[in-house]
Amino acid sequence: MSDLIRAWATLIALSLGSTALAVSAIPPAWQPAAGAAILILAWAKARVILARYLGLAAAPFWARGFGIALGVFCVVLLVLYLIAITL
Amino acid sequence: MSDMTEPGALDELPGDLMMWVLIVSELLVFGAGLAAFMAVRLTDPAGFAAAQDALHRTGAGINTVVLVTSGFLAAIAGPLLAGGQLLRARAALVAAAALGVLFLVIKGAEYADKAERGIAWDTHPFYTFYYLLTGFHAAHVVAGVLILLLVAWKANARNIEVGSAFWHMVDLIWVLLFPVIYLLR
Repeated sequence: MSDLIRAWATLIALSLGSTALAVSAIPPAWQPAAGAAILILAWAKARVILARYLGLAAAPFWARGFGIALGVFCVVLLVLYLIAITL
Repeated sequence: MSDMTEPGALDELPGDLMMWVLIVSELLVFGAGLAAFMAVRLTDPAGFAAAQDALHRTGAGINTVVLVTSGFLAAIAGPLLAGGQLLRARAALVAAAALGVLFLVIKGAEYADKAERGIAWDTHPFYTFYYLLTGFHAAHVVAGVLILLLVAWKANARNIEVGSAFWHMVDLIWVLLFPVIYLLR
């Protein structure tokens, strides 16, 4: 149960962090870094849900596989995002 | 002769294999939708940014807190049942479903606000993706709420495990959808 409480607290902190980043007045020069941070926070949240809520913490092979696949997906989104803001 | 009882990688997966097939399928569908959204955004970054500014980011942030808290309540139902606390397990599932309804109420207010401002799915390509992706997700929330209530009624270890897994999938999709649609400026 304590693992689940820690997971919930982590998810709340990460969600508040990404929302705070998005509503803050970020200088244009820091926009790519803010976008990357938002996607990294999303990836971290997804990993917590998979590991703790869905129980993949007990299956390291699958946790690693899902983590890598979601990481690659977030990198693709980040590349598309970075191209868009440089257009 | 090989030992047929040796466990394979699939045996490591917790819960029902078919639920994992569903989770991966849904991740692929929403993942394709989000990647398409980001690709189409390349054709009009300024227009997408302006359209996104009409969204209520804080409201969506609150909805994220609502959904991950609901996921927590669904996740503790299994351990509660295993500890012999059937009533608490049922209460956790009903509370999780109630937060799912709250998510839909906030989402409904968001849609009503857009309608009042004359924003429809065809106003801009951003809104086409916005309504398709968030609407499809909201449909999953409706299904998840019904599943949680059904599982609370017919509470046993297997039902709770499968029902909660469906709800966590809804949670998982939202934590990927929320930053892409609402936050990336």
